[in-house]
Amino acid sequence: MATSHNSAAMLADAAIVDVPVPPHTARPAGDAPLFRNVAIGILALTVLAPVGLIVYQSFLSAPFFSPRAVLSLDAYAYIINDPTFYKALGTTTLFAFGMVAVAVPLGGLLAFLITRTDIRFKRLLEVLVLVPMFISSIVLAFGYTVSVGPTGFLSLAVRDLIGVVPWNIYSLAGMIAIAGLSHVPHVYLYVSSAMRNLPSDLEEAARTAGANIWRVSLDVTLPMVLPSLVFAASLNVLLGFETFGIPLVLGDPSGIMVLTTYIYKLTTLFGTPTYQLMAVVAMVLVLITLPLVWMQRRLLRNARRYAALGGKGSRVSSLKLGHSGQVIALSIIGLWLFVSVVLPIGGITVRAFVDAWGEGVNLFERLTFSNFHGMLEVPSLVRGMINTIILSVAGGALAVGIYLLIGLAGHRNRGFSNTVLDYIVLLPRALPGLVVGLAFFWVFLFVPVLTPLRPTLVSLFVAYVIVGLSYGLRLLQGTLIQVSPELEESARTTGATIGRTWWDIVIPIVRPGLAGAWALIMIIFLREYATGVYLMGAGTEVIGSLMVSLLTTGAMNTIAALALISIILTAAGLALALRLGARIHD
Amino acid sequence: MTELIVNNVQKWLGGLQILKGASFTAERGSIVALLGASGSGKTTLLRCIAGLEQPEIGRIVIGDKTVLDGERKIGLPPEQRNIGLVFQSYALWPHRNVRDNVGYGLKLRGMPQAEIASRVQAILDRLGLGHLAERYPSQLSGGQQQRVAICRALVYEPRVLLLDEPLSNLDAKLREEARYWIRKLILDLEICAILVTHDQSEALAAADNILLLQDGRIVQQGTPQDIYSNPNSFYSADFLGANNIVKGRIQKRSGRSTVIAGNGWSLNGTVREANGLGDSDEARAVIRVEQISVSDSPAPEGIEMHLDDSIYLGDKWEYRLSRGDFAAKAHGPRQMPSGKVWARIPAESVWVFAAAAPK
Repeated sequence: MATSHNSAAMLADAAIVDVPVPPHTARPAGDAPLFRNVAIGILALTVLAPVGLIVYQSFLSAPFFSPRAVLSLDAYAYIINDPTFYKALGTTTLFAFGMVAVAVPLGGLLAFLITRTDIRFKRLLEVLVLVPMFISSIVLAFGYTVSVGPTGFLSLAVRDLIGVVPWNIYSLAGMIAIAGLSHVPHVYLYVSSAMRNLPSDLEEAARTAGANIWRVSLDVTLPMVLPSLVFAASLNVLLGFETFGIPLVLGDPSGIMVLTTYIYKLTTLFGTPTYQLMAVVAMVLVLITLPLVWMQRRLLRNARRYAALGGKGSRVSSLKLGHSGQVIALSIIGLWLFVSVVLPIGGITVRAFVDAWGEGVNLFERLTFSNFHGMLEVPSLVRGMINTIILSVAGGALAVGIYLLIGLAGHRNRGFSNTVLDYIVLLPRALPGLVVGLAFFWVFLFVPVLTPLRPTLVSLFVAYVIVGLSYGLRLLQGTLIQVSPELEESARTTGATIGRTWWDIVIPIVRPGLAGAWALIMIIFLREYATGVYLMGAGTEVIGSLMVSLLTTGAMNTIAALALISIILTAAGLALALRLGARIHD
Repeated sequence: MTELIVNNVQKWLGGLQILKGASFTAERGSIVALLGASGSGKTTLLRCIAGLEQPEIGRIVIGDKTVLDGERKIGLPPEQRNIGLVFQSYALWPHRNVRDNVGYGLKLRGMPQAEIASRVQAILDRLGLGHLAERYPSQLSGGQQQRVAICRALVYEPRVLLLDEPLSNLDAKLREEARYWIRKLILDLEICAILVTHDQSEALAAADNILLLQDGRIVQQGTPQDIYSNPNSFYSADFLGANNIVKGRIQKRSGRSTVIAGNGWSLNGTVREANGLGDSDEARAVIRVEQISVSDSPAPEGIEMHLDDSIYLGDKWEYRLSRGDFAAKAHGPRQMPSGKVWARIPAESVWVFAAAAPK
C-alpha cells in the first residue's frame, strides 16, 4: 500500500505545485527497440562507410592502400587549379538547368493534358509517357547516336532530303535536349499526381464564381500544383548533376565533360589510379547535391501540406479539347514520344540486326543475326546477361526484403532511430551511381574481411541496394503506412507481440504492394549501368556496365545487341510490374 | 472483485498534459463508462490501460498483475496485459475470415486447433454469427462486424474488456439494441468492462458506474442515477441531460437555498457550487428541461411567463418560454396558444453555480 500512499502524495503535490514537467515522452512498451536500432544501425553503417571513405580518401596524398599515402590537401589543390575541372563544373551546371528548362514545361504540359483534359487514348498514354524513365540513359544515348548521330539513319535521310543535317547531338545543346526529353516522365509523375489529388470543389467554386475553364486552370490549378512543379524542377537539377550515360556517350567524342565523366576520365588521364582526385570531385558533387536533396525534402513536406487540404472528390468535369484541340494535343505527345521513345529504341533495334551502317550502306543488305551469335561466343557477355538477370530478379526480391525490414524498423517508430533513418536515406540520393559504385569498390578493398566478397556479385548487390534505397524504401513505406494503425493495435491487445503483428497482420496485408515493389526494383536494377563501372570484374559483369566499358573499344555491334537485350528485359519487367499492379503513380 | 486499479495516471504529449492524474477502480461483472467531450482524455486513458500509450506517471493493475508503475519503471506491452479491446472502427483484419479473426487470440495462447475451433464456434453461435464463420470482414454488415469484433476480444476470456466508442458506427436503432445486449452479455459473462463514450444516453443506459472526464481529469464519478440527478459542478450538470441555462445574480441566500434573479424575473434555487456563493455574485443556473411543467391556467408557486411558440416533436410538444432575459424550453403533451402561461420550476431542480468555472 506504500505505493498508493506515495501516489496520493504525488497527486497532492501536483495539485499544489504548478503543472509538472513531463519526464520524457515515453516509448510504448514492447516496441521492438532492439530490432529497430540494429536494423537502422546496420543501414547507417552501410551508407556511412563508403561516404566516410570518400571523405577520408579526399584528404590523402595517394590511394589509401598506397604506403606513401599521407594526410594532405594536395588533391584539393590539384582540382582547384585544374581548368578542366571548372569547365566540367560549368558544363554540369548548364546541363542540369538546361535539362530542367526542357523537361519541366513539357512534363507539366503532358501532366495537364493527360490528367485534366478529355484527351483520347488516356489509359495507353499514361503508361507510354513513363517509358523513357525505365530505360537506362546509356541505352537511350546510344540509341540516339544510331538514329540521329552524324551518320545516323534519320540524319542521313534528312541530309538526302535537304542537303544538310540540321542538328548535332554531340554538342551541349544536343545533350541538353536529349536529357531534357528523356526526363519528362520524372516531371510528369509528380505533377500529374498533384493534379489528380487536387479536389475538384476548389475548381468548381471558381467556376461558379464566373471563371471559365481555362481561366480556372491558370488561376486555381497552376498555383495549386506549383509546389509539385518546383519539386520536379529541383529533382531534375539533382538528376542533371548526377547524370553519366548521356554525357559519356554524346559529350565525350567532342570533348564535352561533366563532373561524373570527369571522375571517370581521371583514371585514363593519369594511367594510374588517382583515387584522391576522384574522391575530391565526388566530394564536390555531394556538396552540391546534398543541399538539393535537403531542399527537396522540405518542398515535399510543403507539397503534402497542400495536398492534405483537399478531399478525394472524384473529378466531375475535365476540359473539353474539341476536335482541333485533340489533334494538337495528340500531336505534341506523339512528337515527344517519337523523339524520346521511337528514335532511340528504333535506332537500337535496327542497329542490332545489321553489321554495318553509315553512308552508302544499304541496311537491307546488311541484315544479320551475327551480332547476337557473336555474343554467345564471348563468355563475359554471356555472364553479363546471366548476372544481370540474377541481380535484378533474385537481387531485386532480396532488396525488397531488406527494404521491408528497414521499412518495418521505421514503421510507427517514435524513437530517436527514426530521425537517424530519415537522414540516412537522404544521403544515397545525393550520390550518383558512379560514385556509390566507386565508394563501395574502395570499401571492399579497404576492409580486409570484405575483400574476398569483392569479386562476387555480393559487392554489386550491396551497392545496388544502396542506389535503390530511397526509391525502394519510399515504395515500401508508402505501402506500410496504408495499414490502419488500429489493425496493428488490435493484434497487440489480442496478445501478439510486435514481431508477430508484423508477420501475421502487416506483411500479409501489404503483400500485393510487395510484389509490385519487387517488379519496380527489378527494373531499377536491370537498367543500372553506372554503379557497376568500378565494381564489376571478371565473373561479375552486368549488361549496363559492359556497355560503358565496350564504348571505349568501339565494339558497336555488341553494344547494340546488349542494348536491345536490355530494352527487352526492361519491357518484360515493366509488363510484370503492370500485371502485379505496381503503383508507378505514387 | 476488483479487476482494474488505475491510480494517478498522468500522460503528456509533447509539452501538453492530456491526463492529469486519473484514478478509479472497476469490478468484475460491472461496466464503467468513461464519459466526456472530445479532447477530455477518455480515449487516451483507455489506451493507457491497454498499453497502447505509455503514461509517464501512474500505476495500473489488471487482475493481480501490475502492468504499469511509473516509479518502478514497469510498463508491460499490450500483449502481456490480458485485455480485450473493441475498436471504434472494429479493426477486423481484412485478410482473415471471421473464424480466423476470432481465433487469433487463442492461437497466440497456444491452444490446440480442435479446441480453438469449438471455442470460436461457441462464441459465434452465442452472438448469432455461427453461419458467418467463413465470411471475410468486407462481406459483413456494420452490426455483424461489431459483433465479430466483440467475439474476437472476448473469446480468450480477458480480465478486462475495453470498448472504445463501440456503438458510434451503428445507426440509431441498432445502437439502442446493441447497448442492451452488450450490457447483458457482459453481466452474463461476469467480466469487467470499460466503455469509452461521448454519448450520455449510452453511458447512462449501459454502465453501472460513470466517470465524467473533463480536460484530463475525472470531475465526477457515480452511478448513472447519481451522476444525472446529483451533479457536483456546472460541467457535470450541463454535460448530461437536456438543459436550460440561465444567467443571473444571487439575491438571497440561506444555507443551500437561494434566489437567483435577472432582468424581470427571479427563481428559487439550490446552490450546488462546491465552494458556495456569496450575495450578489454572478451565477448560472441549470434546469433540466423535464423539470419545468407548464400550464395555461394560473398555478400556485408557478411563475408567469410568455409562451412564444409551441413546436411539434412527434411524441410531445416543446414550449419556448420567456420572461425578461430568461428564456427556457419545456415539454408538454399538447399544443398551447401563445401568450400568458405559468411555469412550475421546483427550487431543488434549479441548480445554481458560479458564473464562470473557477480556473
